[in-house]
Amino acid sequence: MRRVVLGRVLLLAGLLGLWELWARHGDPLLYVPPSRVVPALARLLRLEAYPTLPAHVGLTAFEVLVAYALVVALGLSLGFALGLPRHVGAIYEPILAACYAIPSVVWYPSLMLFFGLGPASKIAFGVLLGFFPVVLAVLAGLRAVEPHLLTVSRALGAKPAACFVKVVLPAITATLVAGLRAGLALTVVGVLVGEILGARRGLGYLINYTYGFFRTADYAALALLALVLVLLVDGIAAWTESRARRWTEGAA
Amino acid sequence: MSALRRRALQSLSIAVLLALWELAVRTGWADPLFVPAPSSVVRAFRTIGPEALRLLGETLGKTLLAYVLAVTLGVGAGLLIGGVRYLHDVVSPFLVALYALPKILVLPWILLTFGLAATPAVVYGVLQGFFPICLLVAGGVRDVDRMPLHVARSMGATSWQLYRKVILPAVLPAVLAGMKLGIVFCLLGVLVVEMFGGIRGMGFLLVSLANAFRAPELFAATALVSLLSVGVVLGLERLNQRLGHWR
Amino acid sequence: MRPVTAAHIEVRAVGKQWRTRDHPVPALESVSLDIAPQEFLTVLGPSGCGKSTLLSIIGGLTPADQGEVRIAGRPVIGPDPRQMAMVFQDPGLFPWRTALENVEFGLELQGVPGPIRRERARALLEPVGLRGFERRYPRELSGGMKQRVAIARALALDAPILLMDEPFGALDEQTRLLMGEWLLGIWARTQKTVVFVTHSLQEAILLSQRIVVMTARPGRIKASFAVDLPAPRDLDTAPAATLRRALWDAIRDESRRALDGGA
Repeated sequence: MRRVVLGRVLLLAGLLGLWELWARHGDPLLYVPPSRVVPALARLLRLEAYPTLPAHVGLTAFEVLVAYALVVALGLSLGFALGLPRHVGAIYEPILAACYAIPSVVWYPSLMLFFGLGPASKIAFGVLLGFFPVVLAVLAGLRAVEPHLLTVSRALGAKPAACFVKVVLPAITATLVAGLRAGLALTVVGVLVGEILGARRGLGYLINYTYGFFRTADYAALALLALVLVLLVDGIAAWTESRARRWTEGAA
Repeated sequence: MSALRRRALQSLSIAVLLALWELAVRTGWADPLFVPAPSSVVRAFRTIGPEALRLLGETLGKTLLAYVLAVTLGVGAGLLIGGVRYLHDVVSPFLVALYALPKILVLPWILLTFGLAATPAVVYGVLQGFFPICLLVAGGVRDVDRMPLHVARSMGATSWQLYRKVILPAVLPAVLAGMKLGIVFCLLGVLVVEMFGGIRGMGFLLVSLANAFRAPELFAATALVSLLSVGVVLGLERLNQRLGHWR
Repeated sequence: MRPVTAAHIEVRAVGKQWRTRDHPVPALESVSLDIAPQEFLTVLGPSGCGKSTLLSIIGGLTPADQGEVRIAGRPVIGPDPRQMAMVFQDPGLFPWRTALENVEFGLELQGVPGPIRRERARALLEPVGLRGFERRYPRELSGGMKQRVAIARALALDAPILLMDEPFGALDEQTRLLMGEWLLGIWARTQKTVVFVTHSLQEAILLSQRIVVMTARPGRIKASFAVDLPAPRDLDTAPAATLRRALWDAIRDESRRALDGGA
């Protein structure tokens, strides 16, 4: 285990070192070594570079929140609507799976046409991306419920509603939360892609802006900030998922 | 429920959806500027047909190149990382993190570095396609059942024979799964770059049509790319089943 | 435990066919049976003879295609936890609930308030020998323990009838014997009517007052044997051996038919 950690540290250090060396010798417009990114990040966080940064980040966060709320509502509803009745899932799941084979970004121009360049199109794109994993997770979870558990609960006197609440829901919790986590990750990506492809405000827009003005150090700092925020959000989701998994499988 | 009945219901559902959509536009409930009627979309196929196909070809060319590179690198890296225990333990968290990272964040930098031609599209396509392939293949290698390996080794198989006759067939399903996922990601990457950088191709066409508010043509072009993508994936799925029929 | 009200089970010409893609498969054919209150009855038969189906029909989980089942004079139309409790070969414990919470399940459904049902559940884990294991999850329990929790869960319903479908089938022999002894103790204490399905002659002789033998598919009642052996049952005595031979004679042909028929 120690060797592994050492290997990881060396790898990271090696990559950072390589980056630093390469970037020092390259065109400063294109290549920003870590030694320049760090001060740029500091300036960014002190709001010296872009005083309106919190507003942009706030807008992006708002878009993600709204999009995810819709993802959860629509995804769960559709998932249960398709998965609970006996044959409906078998009919419509292949259609959903086929949609998965389409690169999501092809829909974005249509969304831009319909919703314009404002937050609405970003939210819509986030919903489009994030809602599939949720629906598929509900369907997969429902399929995996052990039929014997339902027989047992019926024998103990559970009516269909009680079966759903006390047996089906707990049984699918782990799969469901995994799907919700994947959905969140995709929603975030969707909003960011939407903003970078064309927006007037937001974190993605800001990244676009710095790129357009060749402010490469600021761009790197912003990208890093975005990365950290994304990892933070996913980290929380991952923690929630592991708790849910342990609860469903029965560990205190 | 038989397969035939299922197909019939699916087709019926789609037909009903299209009919309702057409009705919505005809009755004025949906604005044809934003939501074109299916009939106008079909007509638009004829309008933009030749140009769209040409641009689709451009996009496909870049995608194919990116795909070949992504598969080569991805399968190679996957086999290596999955096979060498130490490598996997060290590299795995980085790979997973990079896979989860929204690669759109590095897109501006790629355009800065490679300019505004086909190259950044291919590079970004490779970037998108590499990770899912590598992760799936590495996972497949790690999941290989050790028992057949032991048995073959005890029968005196050489390393090369082990590799060809035991490991490769066992890893094949994961490789094919990765390749199926990879093509969608590569196409996605190429399209994104075309959209963002205004590079000639299907992505650029879609954005131009959207900016010009030519809704029927936009939907037609979108449908074209979608059908192509679904077709390719289904084709790969068919290949997958043929090659893995023993499962 | 409270004394239970007597229940009389009448099975009248029950028939069942399973609908498959090609043609219906007969599972049970004209099965008739009377089970007296507080009787320990074993249904013995080869694999696939329909004994589990019969139990399922008595329990109200599956409807009979022909005939009917009456309990205390009233026909069975669905699962009735106030009259019958079922235990299956697969304990079917809910993995997200502790042993205690599993036992509480039936009481929860009946709306028994929290503190009361927790007390009753805890009291039930004592006779099954699992005191101290209340907070354990199913994945931390052995096969025998899981089955005991399942039985405690069924006992929590306090129903006069206990239906058991090969409950010890998945356990190893030693555990099976011990569980059998323990079950007899529970039966003596609670005075329930027990309908016990098994394919083990040994289990049948050790546990029951009466044994009913079923034919291979389609299942019918072939023979009925009263078991007059004194308790504690000893398989090595002459009367037990005689009974065993009689049972085997009755069941051997059926078993062979079941084996050949690809049951």
